Amino acid sequence: MQYKDYYKIMGLSRDASQDEVKRAYRKLARKYHPDVSKEKDAEAKFKELGEAYEVLKDPEKRAAYDQLGSNWKAGQDFRPPPNWNEGFEFKGGGFTSGNAGAFSDFFEQLFGRAGFHTGNAEQYGFHARGEDSHAKIYIDLEDSFRGATRNITLSTPEMNAQGQVQVKHRSLNVKVPKGVKAGQHIRLAGQGSPGTGSGQAGDLFLEIAFNNHPLYRISEKDIYLDVPVTPWEAALGAKIKVPTPEGSVDLKIPPNSRQGSKLRLAGRGLPDRIPGDFYVVLQIALPPANTDKAKAIYRKMHEDLDFNPRQALEVYQR
Amino acid sequence: MNSHDLSLVHTGTVIEEDSLTLGQLCRACGVHADWVISLVEESIIEPQGENIRVWRFSGENLVRVRAALRLQRDLGVNLAGIALALDLMKELEYLRSQMKISGHI
Repeated sequence: MQYKDYYKIMGLSRDASQDEVKRAYRKLARKYHPDVSKEKDAEAKFKELGEAYEVLKDPEKRAAYDQLGSNWKAGQDFRPPPNWNEGFEFKGGGFTSGNAGAFSDFFEQLFGRAGFHTGNAEQYGFHARGEDSHAKIYIDLEDSFRGATRNITLSTPEMNAQGQVQVKHRSLNVKVPKGVKAGQHIRLAGQGSPGTGSGQAGDLFLEIAFNNHPLYRISEKDIYLDVPVTPWEAALGAKIKVPTPEGSVDLKIPPNSRQGSKLRLAGRGLPDRIPGDFYVVLQIALPPANTDKAKAIYRKMHEDLDFNPRQALEVYQR
Repeated sequence: MNSHDLSLVHTGTVIEEDSLTLGQLCRACGVHADWVISLVEESIIEPQGENIRVWRFSGENLVRVRAALRLQRDLGVNLAGIALALDLMKELEYLRSQMKISGHI
């Protein structure tokens, strides 16, 4: 078990006042809150912060923690000295807030495990429906077109026969129905936390998210694809082949198309009652002037075409 | 995990725009109905249906209620602050998706 330096996590000195502890928590909580933060591993940092605050905001726990001494270094192998918590009153059910399953071994060793200290619930005839649980599942764009089966691994804190909380991993095969979109949920009845006593198990809610795709970009039901075209295809019009998730299609490029023009293939976005659209975004690619012939053609365009792309800038001189 | 789990495929139901009742939403988020009602009163979420007995909630509502819960629990944000934060987060998400579409990120 590794020692955790709660003061270092919160960026505080050991003599920080309770007000300073609170202010530091507020500030860092905003910084690392998984809903708001852009930081990498925001979630892990936020959990660590929650744990540090849980100890330092509570004068009893803080005093007990301080008593361990300041010679420990974060990450150092740690065993609590015997009777280290003598005279403190938090032993057992030490949590006043926060998410029970989320704290470290270090915390649990010092302050005990979460709330489940009611003994064997079944013995007292206590029945309750299990909690609903939530997870995010990442699928590929193609899965939404064809439907798929995905294997997911869930980690759930469960109570064993001794009333202790253990994190259990379980693996589930889930059918991803055709036409699901990012942000949609699939509900799996009875796959949430198990009930207490003869209570039913809760439900599992899976939120769908798409993996990044090497070609396509997705916006709700619509799909976007950048397609490089030659200047003459854009200028004169052309028929080209473009890939879509359902196979390649012929696309007509109208004459005088511009860089960035969007061409819509109606109904070729994500499947739905009203399917989304597929947009081709034209990217005009210039042929390199790396041969005499190519240079000659560019020079001829320069001589023969009266083209001024900087007219609006009013600095053009012929 | 046993061999039984390996072959079993679970088929769920997709939550549509109007799938969840007030009771189901409360249970899914582990909150009291009173609190969800106060979110509706603050227009943080907008159910379909004229009155509370026929209210129906979407998957997006579910996401917003859970985010609201985290903001209140973790940051001590009040209802007006939650409404503001969620709206700004939604706008940020929209702008990011627009940048992604135009290839800027």
